[in-house]
Amino acid sequence: MRKSAIIGLITIAICIGFLVSLNAETDTYSNFIEASSSNKEEHVIGHWEKNKGTHYDALKDPNHFAFYMKDEKGDVKKVVLNGTKPQDFERSEKLVVIGKMENETFYASKILMKCPSKYNDEMVEISQDGQVKPYKKS
Amino acid sequence: MDIQFIGENLLPGKLGQFFIVLSFVASLLSTISYFLAVKNKDEQNKSWTKLGRIGFLVNVGSIIGIGITLFYLILNHYFEYYYVYHHSSKTLPVYYIVSAFWEGQEGSFWLWAFWQSILGAILIWKAKTWENGVMTVIAFSQVFLTSMLLGVEIFGQRIGSSPFILLREAEDLKSMAPVVFADPENFKNYLKFIVDGKGLNPLLQNYWMVIHPPTLFLGFASMVVPFAYGIAALWTRRYKDWVKPVLPWTLFAVMILGTGIIMGSFWAYEALNFGGFWAWDPVENASIIPWLTLIAGVHVLIAYKNTGHAFFTAMALMLMSFILVLYASFLTRSGILGDTSVHSFTDLGMFGHLIAYILAFVIISVYFITTRWNELPITHKDEETYSREFWMFIGALVVTVACLQVIVTTSYPVFNKIFGTSKLLSNPIEYYNKWQAGFAFLVTLISGFSQYLKYKRTDPRRFYSSLISSIVFSIVLTALFVYFTKVYTKPMYILLTFSCLFAILSNARLLTGVFSSKGSKLAGSAIAHIGFAVLLLGALVAAATSKPVSINESNFIAVKDFEKNQKPGENIMLYKNEPKKMGNYTITYVSDTTIEPNTFYKLNFKVFDKEGKVKEDFDVNPSIQENGKMGLIASPDTKHYLTTDIYTHITSAAEKKEEHGDHEGHSEEENYKAPRIVTLAVGDTIHTSSGVLTVNPINRNPVVKDLKLAPGDLAIGLPLEVNVSGKIYKTEPLFLVKGNNTFDFARKIEELGLRLRFTKVLPDQNKFEVQVYEKPQQAKDWIVFKSIEFPFINLYWVGTIIMVVGFLISIFRRKKELKTS
Repeated sequence: MRKSAIIGLITIAICIGFLVSLNAETDTYSNFIEASSSNKEEHVIGHWEKNKGTHYDALKDPNHFAFYMKDEKGDVKKVVLNGTKPQDFERSEKLVVIGKMENETFYASKILMKCPSKYNDEMVEISQDGQVKPYKKS
Repeated sequence: MDIQFIGENLLPGKLGQFFIVLSFVASLLSTISYFLAVKNKDEQNKSWTKLGRIGFLVNVGSIIGIGITLFYLILNHYFEYYYVYHHSSKTLPVYYIVSAFWEGQEGSFWLWAFWQSILGAILIWKAKTWENGVMTVIAFSQVFLTSMLLGVEIFGQRIGSSPFILLREAEDLKSMAPVVFADPENFKNYLKFIVDGKGLNPLLQNYWMVIHPPTLFLGFASMVVPFAYGIAALWTRRYKDWVKPVLPWTLFAVMILGTGIIMGSFWAYEALNFGGFWAWDPVENASIIPWLTLIAGVHVLIAYKNTGHAFFTAMALMLMSFILVLYASFLTRSGILGDTSVHSFTDLGMFGHLIAYILAFVIISVYFITTRWNELPITHKDEETYSREFWMFIGALVVTVACLQVIVTTSYPVFNKIFGTSKLLSNPIEYYNKWQAGFAFLVTLISGFSQYLKYKRTDPRRFYSSLISSIVFSIVLTALFVYFTKVYTKPMYILLTFSCLFAILSNARLLTGVFSSKGSKLAGSAIAHIGFAVLLLGALVAAATSKPVSINESNFIAVKDFEKNQKPGENIMLYKNEPKKMGNYTITYVSDTTIEPNTFYKLNFKVFDKEGKVKEDFDVNPSIQENGKMGLIASPDTKHYLTTDIYTHITSAAEKKEEHGDHEGHSEEENYKAPRIVTLAVGDTIHTSSGVLTVNPINRNPVVKDLKLAPGDLAIGLPLEVNVSGKIYKTEPLFLVKGNNTFDFARKIEELGLRLRFTKVLPDQNKFEVQVYEKPQQAKDWIVFKSIEFPFINLYWVGTIIMVVGFLISIFRRKKELKTS
């Protein structure tokens, strides 16, 4: 067999190798119900349940941030993040929490937020007295 | 009906738009002329070339014209222009106006077009016999870039996005402030209501952002030159002699793009709280992909030059690199990355346009490769295993496969879009590191031992005998290095350390002969290889052994069993002037200073030895910025040592906003200190803790919702403004006489923690009584911060510098070759 053919085969094998591993490493978003029966880290997508507020008291524990999130199925569960309150949390439109579910509480190791885009500029509101303010939807 | 708007400066925008159209038309003209110049067989007739030159130079001129116009608009704060309004503000220092310039898509396209036009101008001057072919391609690419700025509608489809669009055209002003602009008088005067621009993204307010984008875009722009030479070589069938002129250009592109990428990494390390220097963010990946393929291309090209093998691979890599630059700009600019990246641009409706750009250049490449296929100097002989070109080829192959891994992984949002799936990568950084460490191992190993091989054929026995001493020596060094830097936690780390050290040693060996003619020839590549290996070593040590030093020792977490599945806390809280112990360090939050818009926190780090004497004592000044556009932005500060860095950023700080609502049992006023009661006349000023308050003439007809005034009732508004270092806040408390009672409506300025009541009119003195409520300072200030230790990160930066020096030497060598031949 020619050398170039061997090299070609090895290359193809490596490529297949990482395609397979990419497929194995990727995951789909889940929800709280699925997460409660799963043993691995899950990505749950949802949004912050505003009326229940947030709980963060750096004086007590700077690494504990709790809030309620509604997932795409409409379940509302408590989420606890081991870390500080993310910057700009209140402005988030969509959240992805990564972690595990235990006893009706989701322990997140990481939170991804979709804000009204960091580079996209939101609308401004010019209030009656001529003051320019960021425009808040709803 | 046309509305006559007041106060707009339309001329500069029209001029800028004219330059855009001119640059587009001129580049189109240049493309066509150069194309006909290539087709023209009459050697004497240079008229097409001349026309092409004129077209291109007009393009260069008008691109510069666009730049000057846009700069003028930003500098003069013409907020009637969308771009100016969204990317700058009056308070922006002049040197950051430069970064505001390229914050948006349009500005960065301009930057790219600018560099490409400059490179084109240099090629007109220097390319000689290659001019026609090369310039056809570059002018064609320029057609696409300038069309991205056009912003005109053709058949109902908007082509490109112009930086000279007016704010009122781009956005519906009336929906922004329906109340005010319902009045046509106000609407005409809309500029009066736009006090200031939105300002520059605070993350970009960093000196690296002044220098990083131009370097990066010069890198991107210079990638077109090897591509253009490749196409010209195929087109005019000059398969052999394109190698010499293209080499210095290729090295230049690799050097500049590499520098630009690392500058970005330095910016991320210094200004972003990514917690590191490389995060495998799609935007970072998008820039490193073409860099890797062009690196592979350089190696195969040199192999081809020396042996005549691998013509096709060299050509394919050159062409592919530029197409990958286009693909990278598609990824970052089309909005397809969506929420997977922190710094992609938003979609400006250029999706199709960007795809057209890629497709056009893919089609050109495929067309020339297929039509010339039978003539290409392709050899069918297998290379010797013991030859340098064979291993250069293998090295290039490894780099390409590594690059493929990055492309495929970065592109999964694209696959999601195509197949309608919603896959996501759970742990991208680990995943990339795992694969790329393997590739890096192979690449450094090959770049080491191929230095012992000659072109064509080497005697295997001599090869092994010269290799053995380097290997033994590298093993010893690896053992020492691993021991001291503590990277022995994973076998892969040790292997990579070995391969890097081996590459450094093998290449350094070449430098010993640097003063001989043969040695000096190889100096450039040897130094670049050493630099690359040092860089990798630095990245490896920093990534493998970086650890948070701000370990929360009490680690008190209210939830039971929380620690079981979580890391112990990595954030520490500090009260002002209360030292806390953190590992070796005793840390004190000394003070904070606010220099609008940033608040800098002074943290003192001390290390005591056993006798309690101070061994080390330093301050760091991380900052946060309360920014209306992006919320709280933290910028780290880093203490640099020779062997390690201590990187600190604030994750949370005492907010000055907690308050009680006005509900039962609590009144609004509980949030404030006791009011100051003052009597003021129109024009009077008083000092508040946040700024100077001025009284404006009273408003006799205030409009108040849901308030009906009976005859005899009286309502007066008292317009007040507070000037906080140049920024004006306005408000208007009301005083009301209804029936026999007096009322007043207080107004708040949340940002300043001010509440103002207009409580009495004193007609005899022509004065008003105003009550000024201010919020108290927090009882005690606190911050939460995180510190990370990055050992040996200096190797990463030093490696970069060495690598760039290596590239420079190589460029000079290849240029000399070009002259001597």
